[in-house]
Amino acid sequence: MVFLFIALPLVVAGILPLVGKVSKKFLPDLLANAVFIVLLVLVFFEGRGIAGQEAAVRELSWLGEPLNIRLLLDGFSLFMLFAVALVGFAISLFSIDYMDHYGSKANFYALFLVMIAGMNGLLLVTDLFQIYVFLEVAAVASYALVAFGLGHDELEASFKYLMLSAVASAFLLAGIVLIFGVTGALDFESVSQGLAALDSRFLVGLCAAFFILGFGLKAALVPFHAWLPDAHPSAPAPISAALSGLLIKVSGVYALTRVFLNVFGLTPALSTVLMYLGIISMVVAALLALGQTDIKRMLAYSSISQVGYIVLGIGLGTPLGILGGLFHLFNHALAKSLLFLNSGSLQMATGTRKLDEMGGLGKRMPVTSVTTLVGSLSIAGVPPLNGFWSKLIIIVALIQAGRWAFALIAVLASVLTLWYYLLIQRKAFFGKLNEKWASVREAPFWMTVSTVLLALLCIATGIFFAGTVNSWVRPAADAVVKGLQTALGSLGF
Amino acid sequence: MTAPMLLLPILLPVAIALVVLLIPSRVKAVREVISVLASIVLLYFAWSFFTIKDLTWKVGWLGNGVDFDLRLYHFSAFILLGLAGFLFLIALYSTVKMKNVPRVREYYAYVFLTAAFANGAVLSNNFVPLIFFWEGLLLTLYGLITIGGKKDSNRTAVKSFILGGFCDFSMILGVAILWKITGTLTLSEISVKPEGLAAASFILMVVGAIGKAGAMPFHTWIPDAAIDAPVTVMAFIPAALEKLLGIYFLARITLDFFVLEKNSTLAIVLMTIGAATIVLAVFMALIQKDFKRLLSYHAVSQVGYMILGIGTAVPIGIAGGIFHMINHAMYKCGLFLSSGSVEHRCGTTELKKLGGLRQEMPLTAFGFAVCALAISGVWPLNGFVSKEMVFHGAVETGYIIFAVAAWVGAILTFASFLKAGHSVFLGPRGRDVPAVKESESPVFIPILTLAGLCILFGVYNKLPLKEFIEPILEGHVEAGEHLDFSAHALAVFNPIALISVGCLVIALLLHLYGWKKAGRKAYLASEPVHKFPVLKQIYDLAEKRIFDIYEQGIRFLKGLSGILFKLVDRPIDAFYEKGVTAVGRAFTGVLRAAHTGHYANYLAWSIGGLLAVAGIISLLLK
Repeated sequence: MVFLFIALPLVVAGILPLVGKVSKKFLPDLLANAVFIVLLVLVFFEGRGIAGQEAAVRELSWLGEPLNIRLLLDGFSLFMLFAVALVGFAISLFSIDYMDHYGSKANFYALFLVMIAGMNGLLLVTDLFQIYVFLEVAAVASYALVAFGLGHDELEASFKYLMLSAVASAFLLAGIVLIFGVTGALDFESVSQGLAALDSRFLVGLCAAFFILGFGLKAALVPFHAWLPDAHPSAPAPISAALSGLLIKVSGVYALTRVFLNVFGLTPALSTVLMYLGIISMVVAALLALGQTDIKRMLAYSSISQVGYIVLGIGLGTPLGILGGLFHLFNHALAKSLLFLNSGSLQMATGTRKLDEMGGLGKRMPVTSVTTLVGSLSIAGVPPLNGFWSKLIIIVALIQAGRWAFALIAVLASVLTLWYYLLIQRKAFFGKLNEKWASVREAPFWMTVSTVLLALLCIATGIFFAGTVNSWVRPAADAVVKGLQTALGSLGF
Repeated sequence: MTAPMLLLPILLPVAIALVVLLIPSRVKAVREVISVLASIVLLYFAWSFFTIKDLTWKVGWLGNGVDFDLRLYHFSAFILLGLAGFLFLIALYSTVKMKNVPRVREYYAYVFLTAAFANGAVLSNNFVPLIFFWEGLLLTLYGLITIGGKKDSNRTAVKSFILGGFCDFSMILGVAILWKITGTLTLSEISVKPEGLAAASFILMVVGAIGKAGAMPFHTWIPDAAIDAPVTVMAFIPAALEKLLGIYFLARITLDFFVLEKNSTLAIVLMTIGAATIVLAVFMALIQKDFKRLLSYHAVSQVGYMILGIGTAVPIGIAGGIFHMINHAMYKCGLFLSSGSVEHRCGTTELKKLGGLRQEMPLTAFGFAVCALAISGVWPLNGFVSKEMVFHGAVETGYIIFAVAAWVGAILTFASFLKAGHSVFLGPRGRDVPAVKESESPVFIPILTLAGLCILFGVYNKLPLKEFIEPILEGHVEAGEHLDFSAHALAVFNPIALISVGCLVIALLLHLYGWKKAGRKAYLASEPVHKFPVLKQIYDLAEKRIFDIYEQGIRFLKGLSGILFKLVDRPIDAFYEKGVTAVGRAFTGVLRAAHTGHYANYLAWSIGGLLAVAGIISLLLK
């Protein structure tokens, strides 16, 4: 069953281009959305399956022969699979209306599903090389999706993204090769044990640096972030949402967490480096977001900044910090995809992404305005929305660990966050209606359904945060902490 | 009569207020009929209560000594009766005078709510319900002033609210201190010596009481309201109801809660407040050019006599003060109502435009004359009796200065009423006003009733003194002390009464002098005083509201907020606006400039980052 997480999107992606020959719109819409519903059902089904157990390791077999491919489903993977399925579902709902005017919907869905398959695979695999493989699967699909509009900017952004990613992949591969060279193994458990028995700390440190470049670039941590503000805004809005909401978290944060916390073991040195990367990303990207006039670029910088929070929490390495980081990851996935989808609604309605050209659209697009406000306040960390709780947990964890300076900067950065989100709200939705947009209308039905769904989830997660944390986030954090404890002490540094 | 019947004077007016609110505006007579009938019913019950005089009703409420505790005894029954009487007269008067007011439904609702709150305040035997009702009066007063519908009505309403709120806050503070000292909130259980903290409580509660009664310096809304509020509101609230409540509470403070010693510091403070109020307010009253405004300053000035009387802390003074309270309520209500009658017919109350109305409005003129003579203390009206008692009390303390102040007040009071009566009813007929006729009977009946009561309480002063006043003092003077004030009340041939009569003569001469000097224009008769050196400068300052604590307070607060704005708010704002924003934008600018979009740059950053990370990791490994 676990294999279905990878196989189902992949198979549907395979047949979609063929279906597209028959039905331009209806069948692709139906199939894509059905896939996500099935994935959601699977998450709940599997979640019930592993509840109470430690983790489920499934060995794949083909006609009775073991294939030496092992999939691991623990709390952490399940949590991430849930986020992917949930946000993916909202995105595919949104695409029903939004992707109409792009044409070749079937191809779009196919690429999107390949990306989803890549991400799901990445979340389930148990060895370093497989991580590399699925990372590339998701990445290749995303290159194509960024360039999906085929305009000048899209192609340039895609190319930049591809070239920087290739560098990152190269270093990742180099790191994996080095690890394999010294330990003779690739699966997490053996590598962890092999590294523990090893006495070459600088080599391992170098590998860690390679991994930080690789995953940090995927997660768009400053200074590895420069591709993101070009790539994310260039993609169609649903893909922007998927990239910012999911891909950077799965191929960046998840992979980073898995490798550093569960394989290498988070040593003080790594912890320090990760926390500094997090805090630098948080502040620098928030300041950059402030200077943007293009709504999607602003959101893209905001993503970098928020990933900074997540990495800060996880890099802290305390159970509470990890919990806060993971919770923020989930909340940010919801809120940021909501905001990117709304930026798509705005772009579709007005044809522009320039904030200065908008104004007073709240009167014409009340639902979009309100849902954007919910998303903005959530990310800025205004109670009682979900973002408030996760930021609070991170800050509390920082204070508990005695990292006062980090806590203070995190608070101040969230003020910056509120600042630029209010800028969006004021310039786009409040104030006098720009005469140009007198005939603008609210987004179409499915787009509205999707954004309202996400906004309600933001509110519900905020109000019932205790329930969300206990049923989804805590098992994930526990799994990470448990892996961390077994891996720790295995390394000399 | 059972104990829960005590709720009736509170709940019935509330019910009436709701009913009149529900009657649509276009339905005409019903509202008036209901309100007059209800006020008759209330008057009947007040009379019944007065015959019982002893009833308590108590239910637990919030715990901790906060009970809903009503107590009817002689004093509260007396005030209750007075309130009901004035409510009836005002309701009757309003049927004509307030008929065509735009917010007539609200007017009646507020009037009856006022009655409910006032009755509740008088009956309360626990400070918490007392304060509840006391505060409720602020709200209805606010509403009633705004019904005036003049340009500044809302402003004046706010002014009354803030001044009243200040006094009430002070009272609440005093009550809290008293609670701390005595450990109880029940009025009838409290009796402490005003020393130390209790003295502070005394002062604070006195501020609450005299603020309600409208003494200086908390009076400044009353002259404004005289112009901005309906005249019935003036006749009902500042003239009658607030005097009854304020002086009732002041008497309770000085007689019951605290034992005020004769000539103690606190007694002298009270007498000083009283004397100052008499003199300063009457000086202001003298020069007024508007009938209602003139009356309103007298409403302030006369409070001084009551406070002075109670402050003497000698039985005759206290009795005089309380007697003056009910007398003042009657004649001042009558005076305001007669000014309302003039306004009703002539459409103005400016003294300059009026004149010679005695022919056309004889009943109003008669009622006014009786009330004016009563307030001036002319023998044998009620004002003479109560003022003489206050004079006696003041002399008895040994501080003649207070008696002198009271006499100065008497001179100027009479002078100003000579001026007012002369300007309005005597002299040549004013040409600005067309021919008028006497007001309708619901207007002149209340005026004549009050005038009749003024005569009755003066000539047959035994009745009110025996029935109303003396029982209040029982238990507060030494046993066996003679408590008969009525025997010599009308005696003229004693030094004090002779001086009083002399004062009236001086006032008459002053008026005639001023009248002659102003070329026989009565409304200018006060000009000699107005233009007197030194006084003129003070008057000019007063006209600029220099002495108005509300205006000065507002000016002070505005100044303070201006200073805070400039010295604290703006710098902080500038810090955020210029400092934080500019720094943020500068960083943003630098960072944006770095993002050139060149692939090579970005790649270089990544590699640089890698080197940095690797370097730091190897550093940390050591």
